[in-house]
Amino acid sequence: MQIKQVEKDGIVICYLSGEIDINTSPQAKKFFDKLIIAKKEKILLNFKDVSYVDSSGLATLVEILKGLRTYGGKLKLVTLSTKVKNLFEITKLDKLFDIVADEEEAVTSFS
Amino acid sequence: MRIPSDIKYIRKVSAEIENFLRSKNIDESYIFYIRLCAEEAIKNSILHGNKGDKGKSVFITYSLKGDKFNMEIEDEGSGFDPLKLPDPTKNENLLMEGGRGVFLIQKLMDKVEYNDRKNKVSMIKFIKEKKGGRDAN
Repeated sequence: MQIKQVEKDGIVICYLSGEIDINTSPQAKKFFDKLIIAKKEKILLNFKDVSYVDSSGLATLVEILKGLRTYGGKLKLVTLSTKVKNLFEITKLDKLFDIVADEEEAVTSFS
Repeated sequence: MRIPSDIKYIRKVSAEIENFLRSKNIDESYIFYIRLCAEEAIKNSILHGNKGDKGKSVFITYSLKGDKFNMEIEDEGSGFDPLKLPDPTKNENLLMEGGRGVFLIQKLMDKVEYNDRKNKVSMIKFIKEKKGGRDAN
């Protein structure tokens, strides 16, 4: 898994690629813990190049969301593949996360 | 197949299952969900069944007969009851960090059974269509 970070107009956009699973989740957690320590308020995760997520990946995303909520930070997820989005729907995590169709819409909805 | 209780072997097993299914011309959407269920079950066996004891093994068998894909994952633990886990989709549990693996297996496979000792899970997925066909879920 790789994460490329871009900051634009106060929004941290993270382009994730590869697989978010039991092996890569600790790396993702470490990366996002730094953003949470820095109290970044608007974080957008672009899943366009994420091919696979398992329950450990979902758990890590929940941890990130909980961390952000401690100081009122907001998180949006965009461009999830049908299969990955389906996992959010089955586990009802689509009720917890703000899942947006594309990056432009997500950026606009932050403001 | 037999692997030690170490998470680094999970992907090796799931890759072998993926290759097997691809060789049978199974649609990628089925492969995605079967891979997920295999990995979740093996992970549970390693972490909860065998409690990470690398001296203990996890045993994996799988087969495709007609449209029926069968997979069994067994560990050497004394068994933990996956059916006693809280429902992760209830509003009060949505923020739980764990407990979704077993739930996903139950939702994505067509039939899931545990033996009495609860150290072996048997899963069945019916492959309704092959490559380019209907989505698996």
